[in-house]
Amino acid sequence: MPQLMSPDAVALVFAASQIAAAIAVLNGFTVGIGQGNIGAKAIESIARQPEAKGSITSTMFISCALAETSGIYGLLISFILLFANPLLSRYLALIGA
Amino acid sequence: MNFNIRNLWSVNIGGAEIWITESLVSVWVVMLVLIAFAVVVRVKLPKFSDKPKGFQNAVEAMVEYFDRFVRTTAGEKLRFLGPWFFTVFAFILISNLSGVIFIGLLRPPTADWGVVFAFALITFILIQIMGVRYQKGQYIRAMFEPYFFSKVPNFLIFPLNLIGELARPVSLSFRLFGNILGGVILMGLVYGMLPLLLRFGLPAFLHAYFDLFAGALQAYVFTVLSLAFIGGAADTT
Repeated sequence: MPQLMSPDAVALVFAASQIAAAIAVLNGFTVGIGQGNIGAKAIESIARQPEAKGSITSTMFISCALAETSGIYGLLISFILLFANPLLSRYLALIGA
Repeated sequence: MNFNIRNLWSVNIGGAEIWITESLVSVWVVMLVLIAFAVVVRVKLPKFSDKPKGFQNAVEAMVEYFDRFVRTTAGEKLRFLGPWFFTVFAFILISNLSGVIFIGLLRPPTADWGVVFAFALITFILIQIMGVRYQKGQYIRAMFEPYFFSKVPNFLIFPLNLIGELARPVSLSFRLFGNILGGVILMGLVYGMLPLLLRFGLPAFLHAYFDLFAGALQAYVFTVLSLAFIGGAADTT
């Protein structure tokens, strides 16, 4: 299969994984909305109860870190696609290069 | 640009090749810092006096603060876990902050999933042990809840509960690992992009955010979540 071995085919796998990495990192969008909600609610409750500021702030940081998790998953997937691409080595093994 | 974990040298012990990787060396550096601090405390305070002053005050304040922290997050009866989680917190905090010192030399140890997963695995084992110890059969029974007609154990829901339980160490470790690795890669890209003159000073803001702020926050979050999970498993509801 000569056309599978061509540099164009390898470049296609490269390009597809770069686009996939960009899409994976896009889920930071939802994380941003979630963290914005957490911050807004925390400010609201501090305004209502200023004496509970300390515990509200620490709870807010924990909630922010929890909401961040799904964004981190996407980030890790995009890092894997960019720096330790499993698709490319699999493709090269498939065509026997 | 290569962001893989470098292998510094390999040792041959009895036919088995052991790799001394970058993160292993940085773990040793962090351990050295912690051991040095412990030795300093031991030498400076050979005997704890009843009326604390100066250095003893600072050391006692740290231990007391953490003890109170464990009692409020995990519960009074899990107070004995305090020393372990103080150790974990100190180790992760120093590891995350070490990114400031190791610039261009070594990666912080927590940018290696193996290091972080070890801590998450210990938390997972502690969750199971404390759950069985304090809730006895109720802990195993909770895996089959909700029951059919509140009598028959629900074997259909068991796989879901099992996956939820197994996902805990993974999510706990990925959170810390992803944050630190993200910082390392982003700063590596910025250092590679900037011309030599601008490399001094400008990335300091990135270091302040990724190493100091995110590092301290993630060390805190890891400890709090571990304690909350263990407290939740040990508590009879």
